[in-house]
Amino acid sequence: MLKYILKRIGLSIVILVGVSMIIYFLIRLMPVDFIQDKINAINQGGATVDEETVKTMYEMYGLGDNSFRGILEGYFNWLGQLAQGNLGRSFKTNEPVADVIVSHMGVSFAVSLIATIIEFMIAIPLGITAATHQYSLRDYIVTIFVMVGISLPSFYFGQVLKDLFAYKLGWFPSQGLVNAGGSATGIALLPEYFMHMFLPILTVVILSIGGRMRMTRTNMLEVMNSDYIRTARAKGLGEHKVIYKHAFRNTLIPIVTTLAGLLPSLFSGAIITEQVFGLPGIGNVALELMNCGDIPFIMGYNMFLAMLSVIGVLLSDLMYAVVDPRVKLD
Amino acid sequence: MKIVKKIKARLLGENNGNEIKSSGNSYLTSKEIRAISKANAKVMLRLEKYKNRKADESEFLSEMKDPKNILEIEDLNTYFFTDQGVVKAVNGVYFEIPKNATVGIVGESGCGKSVTSMSVMRLLQGPQGQIYSGSIRFRAYDYKRDGHGNPIPTGETAENGAPVYETEEKVYDIAKMPINEIYRIRGKQIAMIFQEPMTSLNPIFTIGEQLDEVTFIHTPGATKEIAKARSMEMLELVGIAAPERVYKAFPHELSGGMRQRVMIAMALSCDPRLIIADEPTTALDVTIQAQILDLLRELKDRIDGSIMLITHDLGVIAEMADYVVVMYAGRVIERGTAREIFHNPLHPYTIGLQMSKPTMDSDSDKLFNIPGNVPNPVNMPNYCYFKERCSRCTAKCSGDYPCMVQVSPTHFVACHLYTEEEKNG
Repeated sequence: MLKYILKRIGLSIVILVGVSMIIYFLIRLMPVDFIQDKINAINQGGATVDEETVKTMYEMYGLGDNSFRGILEGYFNWLGQLAQGNLGRSFKTNEPVADVIVSHMGVSFAVSLIATIIEFMIAIPLGITAATHQYSLRDYIVTIFVMVGISLPSFYFGQVLKDLFAYKLGWFPSQGLVNAGGSATGIALLPEYFMHMFLPILTVVILSIGGRMRMTRTNMLEVMNSDYIRTARAKGLGEHKVIYKHAFRNTLIPIVTTLAGLLPSLFSGAIITEQVFGLPGIGNVALELMNCGDIPFIMGYNMFLAMLSVIGVLLSDLMYAVVDPRVKLD
Repeated sequence: MKIVKKIKARLLGENNGNEIKSSGNSYLTSKEIRAISKANAKVMLRLEKYKNRKADESEFLSEMKDPKNILEIEDLNTYFFTDQGVVKAVNGVYFEIPKNATVGIVGESGCGKSVTSMSVMRLLQGPQGQIYSGSIRFRAYDYKRDGHGNPIPTGETAENGAPVYETEEKVYDIAKMPINEIYRIRGKQIAMIFQEPMTSLNPIFTIGEQLDEVTFIHTPGATKEIAKARSMEMLELVGIAAPERVYKAFPHELSGGMRQRVMIAMALSCDPRLIIADEPTTALDVTIQAQILDLLRELKDRIDGSIMLITHDLGVIAEMADYVVVMYAGRVIERGTAREIFHNPLHPYTIGLQMSKPTMDSDSDKLFNIPGNVPNPVNMPNYCYFKERCSRCTAKCSGDYPCMVQVSPTHFVACHLYTEEEKNG
């Protein structure tokens, strides 16, 4: 087991290096030029920047040489810094990238974590009851409800919720994370956070329940039709035990393993939903900094997610061995 | 008029699709399918309600016709309600299983043998599969119950420490039992062994957990120790050499033959009076087949029970069965003692089955087969179902479906060839 994990970690490092190289090259080839934008801004202010200064600026940011060699050099510079534990400073905010990520992570993580927990708590029971009452009225109602959820785009559904609950009914605030002009601090901020996060969480939950419920329903149906469920019934087990002991434990195998795979999505932030509700989450920031070509941030953020993905995949493989006795890792 | 008839033929008499209009061609249009499923939904709803009702015991208590029998099936009709029409998978089946006997049920795939056994266990997949009518009378030993429905202990304990309860003999009509009462019988009085040992055990529980469960369900007051002792005893009984190791193993760690032994151990665990073995050896190789059959035969005597053996292997039947029931297209066409069926088969289908058995001493390099196919199950003719394939048809065969003719005290056949004989004689 330990040997397997070590082997996988070793492999993960190779994958991460490959990923970082691809991302770095892609960013350098992106048609966004942070320096050019900056110069344009200065020019618009009325001042002029001479050729010499422009060149120094490019050199300063390490973007002077756009040839293959130059990009490669830039990449290894970044890698060298990383090896010393330094993710660099964001071009735009001039703060260390790690600080930018950490300071915006909390909101996104809270929204995703709460939404994921609620999603599982609702979707799994719904999937089970839809499967055990296949083709009944209950099944159809649940299916229609979740299909509507799947089909709604988040920018639209978020806007509808905002319009209804924030503007028309005024139950929830429409923007941001804290009340404008509020003076609460510490623990007293929690109710405020809750009110601001409620609509974004609701949006994410309703949009994601569908997939999870469909997955549970399909797995459950497959298990319910299997021979060992017939055996369990033939033994004289009650229907409740058949479903919740024999069938559900088998349905859990794919559910638990996808759970570990959700790791990166907990931290990546819901870009569109955060936009709609003006939440200062990592998704919002990432989109903004991506648009202005903030290379150190994009690298740092994407590598953070890549690392989580790799860990998530490893965890989900390990979970298989935990929940399914047929799987042995070595 | 003819058009309405087409749909009517696919439905049951009670919803005579008068209002259903139909197009002329032989395929069903989506409108017709909707009409059929609407008519079916009504019947299914009624049967589901009947199945899930709460009923007093007196409603499903019954009497045996012959006290020697442990199971009597009378005019059993089990239907599947599909969008193509009603499939009469079991269509008026009669047979009985005497105490201490092995009854073999033979017939080709889809003739309704498994559905009959599923009906006895009440394991049909609802709401499509339903027992429509008929009775399945079963002689059961049940716990005597006090006013609250709890078993009454005698005060003694069995060898393994489990409490003993007062029992009494009752005859239940399984077909009329509400589904939540079936647990008095299922797994305890009637146990079942399935065809596929590879997939019939739950992959995520150990053999021990799955075996112990049976004791927990059916023995009130069973402790973990009692259950384990019982499971180990059963594993030894079915000839497993290292019961301790198998007890802790997961199903995927065992071979097919071992798994089938575990299935048999599971079935025996509560001293059932009837074991239904649904093609228990089909998925196993020949040497293991023989071992499993020997085991079953030996165990039948030890537990003093009966076996209902479903198979399409005539060799297995010849070796195991005391009585044989031959089914074709949902009906019993011939039944009798094994000797009668093998030495004096009467129905042309039974004769055909015997002839299609490969033998070592035949010179022919071709295997005999019965020409033709089974009629469409949603649209059965009203004459003999075997008429189209029969080599010995007479003019009478275009008439009504032949009724059962008794040719000896134990031998029955449903064929017009013998109804004539009866009249002449």
